[in-house]
Amino acid sequence: MTSSTVVAFDASAPWQLNEQVSLRDESFGALAYHHGTRRLVFLKSRELVAVVRQLSDFDSADAAILALVPEGQRARYSTALTSLVRSEILCER
Amino acid sequence: ESEELLVEEV
Repeated sequence: MTSSTVVAFDASAPWQLNEQVSLRDESFGALAYHHGTRRLVFLKSRELVAVVRQLSDFDSADAAILALVPEGQRARYSTALTSLVRSEILCER
Repeated sequence: ESEELLVEEV
């Protein structure tokens, strides 16, 4: 039985791409590979890739989404970031 | 023309 740490996503906190993750741009968006957990994650929009790459430039995930994502899409992108935090693709700064 | 998942994991 392996233990895992459950990380909650606080969108008001500062986040960044995990240092153990390699991001490879693809036509559909990008592939993210976590070298520690061996998880492979498909980011299926280029806008999401832009948000992930630029997260470290913002004081919070909310600020990044506000600046980079059109208004009608923000809830969807917040859900996507929640999923990426759960997969440990993103980590808190 | 919004319902597709943005993230999938393997």
